[in-house]
Amino acid sequence: MARIVGGIGSSHAPSMAHAYDHRWSDKPEWQPLFEGSVAARRWLLEVARPDAMVIFYNDHLNRFFFDAYPTFAIGVSESLPLADEGWGRRPLPDFSGHPDLAWHITRSLIADEFDLTVCQEMEIDHGILSPLPFLTEPEKRGWPCPIVPFAINVIQHPVPTARRCWKLGAALRKAIQSYPRDLRIVVMSTGGMSHQLNGKRFGFLNPDWDNEFLDLLEADPQALAALSAEDYMKRGGCESVELIIWLAMRGALSPQVRRIHRNYYAPMLTGYGLLALEEMQ
Amino acid sequence: MTEPQDPLAPPNSNVFDGQKGMRGYRINKLAQSMRHPENREAFLADERGYMAKLGLSAQEQELVLRRDWYGLQAAGGNQYALVKLGGALGINLVQQGAQMRGETVEQFLKTRKRS
Repeated sequence: MARIVGGIGSSHAPSMAHAYDHRWSDKPEWQPLFEGSVAARRWLLEVARPDAMVIFYNDHLNRFFFDAYPTFAIGVSESLPLADEGWGRRPLPDFSGHPDLAWHITRSLIADEFDLTVCQEMEIDHGILSPLPFLTEPEKRGWPCPIVPFAINVIQHPVPTARRCWKLGAALRKAIQSYPRDLRIVVMSTGGMSHQLNGKRFGFLNPDWDNEFLDLLEADPQALAALSAEDYMKRGGCESVELIIWLAMRGALSPQVRRIHRNYYAPMLTGYGLLALEEMQ
Repeated sequence: MTEPQDPLAPPNSNVFDGQKGMRGYRINKLAQSMRHPENREAFLADERGYMAKLGLSAQEQELVLRRDWYGLQAAGGNQYALVKLGGALGINLVQQGAQMRGETVEQFLKTRKRS
């Protein structure tokens, strides 16, 4: 049977992709992002060694538009091309999907009353593509494994509740544990920590809250599941409501987990956070 | 938990909800179309003509021509779309944000702690 070996939570931002592609690892303002990824990357590639990753994220009008905007959407195709977000495609390989696992998850989640939009075409944007190279170095060895992308609406309100994302994670755990092949799975969630991109409050940052969020996600995620979208927006800026996505990853793990790595810094417009958690088994 | 005292917090922010999604539909459609290089070229060659084809109202077109990012958001523009429009026009997110705050880019950068 398949099993979850661990989880990763990470910020995502176009700036991360820009820094990665320009190899800015020795620029003082970017060094912490590169150095802060090393321990998580080693764990992912050498210890966790996933056969597949399920990645919760949000799309930024690159796959979906407001003509039809899904609350939950899963990618089930064999091939997952990279999106051109308006400033050219990144020089990285396309992703492989995992149709068999993705359809198994779809059947299991729908049986559990999570009614998904199922996508045979899914272009992947910086929601996945900005943090993942830091954790896998695809230019050296390609992507380490196929992925199952899972998009959550956090850009057009009403967005799902944090508790709904938490329950989605728990339902994903059940789905993975009932998959008949013997696979090692890492569940990842990406979403911006404190930031605001709209109105006169543009640039709002709250590193104290971001760090409190990382503490609670590890030790008391139920407290985070109880918060409303407005609570998140007040504390971390409107666009930080993306943090509810992290609850899906945490909901897929056991109550007690081992922390492998944690990194945080906030140089400019948003907090860059990274958390790697391992299942104790 | 940390509770910042901030008079600009929601509901005073431009939270993007269904109502804005409907009001700003044409603005967002214009902005999202900038994902394709041929659309960027057509738009830059004739902004008014391109916008008219997509059905933007005269007021919406004025907001775009004035590069009024605050006004575009208030009219229902979604920032993830507007950043694509900015990209086509050579205007980045920091320039857009500084304008929303009523600051120059230099003034805005002074508010940032660069670690």
